[in-house]
Amino acid sequence: MVTREEILKIATLSKLFVSEDELTKLTSDMEQVIAFADTINSAEDSTTEFDNINNLSNVLREDEIVPSIDRDKILCNARDTDDGHFLVKKRA
Amino acid sequence: MKYELVAGFETHVELSTKTKIFCGCTTQFGGEPNTHCCPICIGLPGTLPKLNRQVVRYAVMAGLATNCTIPETAKMDRKNYCYPDLPKAYQISQYDMPLCVGGYVQLSNGRRIRLTRIHIEEDAGKLIHRHGDTLVDYNRGGVPLIEIVSEPDIRSIEEAREYVEKLQLIMRYIGVSDCKMQEGSMRCDVNISVREVGSDKLGTRTEIKNMNSIAFIAKAMEYEFERQVDILENGGQVVQETLRYDDVTNTTSSMRGKEDANDYRYFRDPDLVTINVSREEVEELRGLLPELPTQKAERYVNELGLSETDAALLTKYRRIAEYYEAACEGTKNPKTAANFIISQIFRRLDTESDKEDFNIKVTADALNELIKLLDDGKIRMNLAKSTLDKMLDTGKRATELISESDMGGLDDAALLALCEQAIASNGNAVNDYKNGKEKAIKSLIGFVMKNSRGKADAAAAETKIKELIG
Repeated sequence: MVTREEILKIATLSKLFVSEDELTKLTSDMEQVIAFADTINSAEDSTTEFDNINNLSNVLREDEIVPSIDRDKILCNARDTDDGHFLVKKRA
Repeated sequence: MKYELVAGFETHVELSTKTKIFCGCTTQFGGEPNTHCCPICIGLPGTLPKLNRQVVRYAVMAGLATNCTIPETAKMDRKNYCYPDLPKAYQISQYDMPLCVGGYVQLSNGRRIRLTRIHIEEDAGKLIHRHGDTLVDYNRGGVPLIEIVSEPDIRSIEEAREYVEKLQLIMRYIGVSDCKMQEGSMRCDVNISVREVGSDKLGTRTEIKNMNSIAFIAKAMEYEFERQVDILENGGQVVQETLRYDDVTNTTSSMRGKEDANDYRYFRDPDLVTINVSREEVEELRGLLPELPTQKAERYVNELGLSETDAALLTKYRRIAEYYEAACEGTKNPKTAANFIISQIFRRLDTESDKEDFNIKVTADALNELIKLLDDGKIRMNLAKSTLDKMLDTGKRATELISESDMGGLDDAALLALCEQAIASNGNAVNDYKNGKEKAIKSLIGFVMKNSRGKADAAAAETKIKELIG
């Protein structure tokens, strides 16, 4: 059972605004999503061991410096900049 | 009602690698804002992080030095939270399969502070808050960290202090970090709760974030302990929350309610593959570990006969311990080198960082040579001490400062002549001594020592003077 409070909490953590109408719909949608996950959980699982899905391991790089890129390029997509910094609104 | 403190630490230690954890940008401290950055460390879409091998090796060494087990398989996870210090809105960290698990740090009172785990993760960027805006610098973003998580085993502020100092010492010894708290390369989050003495149930905890000085940790813990005891004694309940410590007012204040682990929505990072640490590599890394400070201190006490205090002073900095060992190599008494270092050399090193750097003009080899002159009876202690001071001032060697004629003791005739001279020119002291003032003889001995330029044997001079005065 998913409560409206849980949906509101998830919305807050996801930085989403949810209207009253959406809340009702999202609550029932979420219940279906969780029911789906429950179905998967109830499937037989022969092993509890860690599954290394792609069979890859230890793709590592050596500790060697590569030149960083030009600051103008680093900042070129920022909405605002100031004195070589990204500039954003202060958040609580 | 009597209460006891229960604390656990999460200690972040910046690793001394040349490059960041997932890209080749430099980890150098400082630099113009956003100049140590690339598309990976500012989290641009379509980039692929690649793990730095040295980060894994350093973390495993840190684990081995703190008695951890190294599982064969580890993985990287995403810890999701939204704050501008993380450009991707998640931090790449480790959740349920860290590199090191289950070690401990031994305290001097015999208690062991158990470690839950040590995991690797990326550091966040630096924020500067200014009139409603925030300036963001990602130079530090992606610098490799290990987080050392302890069990809530700490029971006093003294234990907390020793625990942090021990960790700092171990990490410096094994060379994985410089652990400079003032520069932020070592920072602690302290979890604190209180409970009635005798109870084995844990109380509700609060977490004080980002402490970067041992003195502040002690003050903040003291304040928080009192605050929680006050709440409980007034019938209230401690609220689980994250706190900030203000060192100016010496108080803690709420930053935010504590998020549950679930709220970080940890999941495996699909961009990074599994890490396997082979048993061969674990043994290779174990072989690279130097003798650790506690083992060294024990050896100094048991094999070299130093006091526990002196052993602790000499092992507190790796460079000093190495210097000491080289200086007493082949000398008769290991205490001699210890005394010279602790009394005369330490006097010239005022701050902790002076001791850490240990920049002095006398090489271990030069001190060793001076001690051997003393051992061979070529010079006496007084002359050795004054020579060491001159060596520390000038960087010259003992053999350059002490002339041939100063070597070797004083023959009997010369000693007798000096003692007679001392008596003749210090009439007052002689009278004082005759009138029962035992101490007056010191100034006569002092005269002999000074005029023989330290060559005389003080005990022999004392006997001779007493004979002469009768």
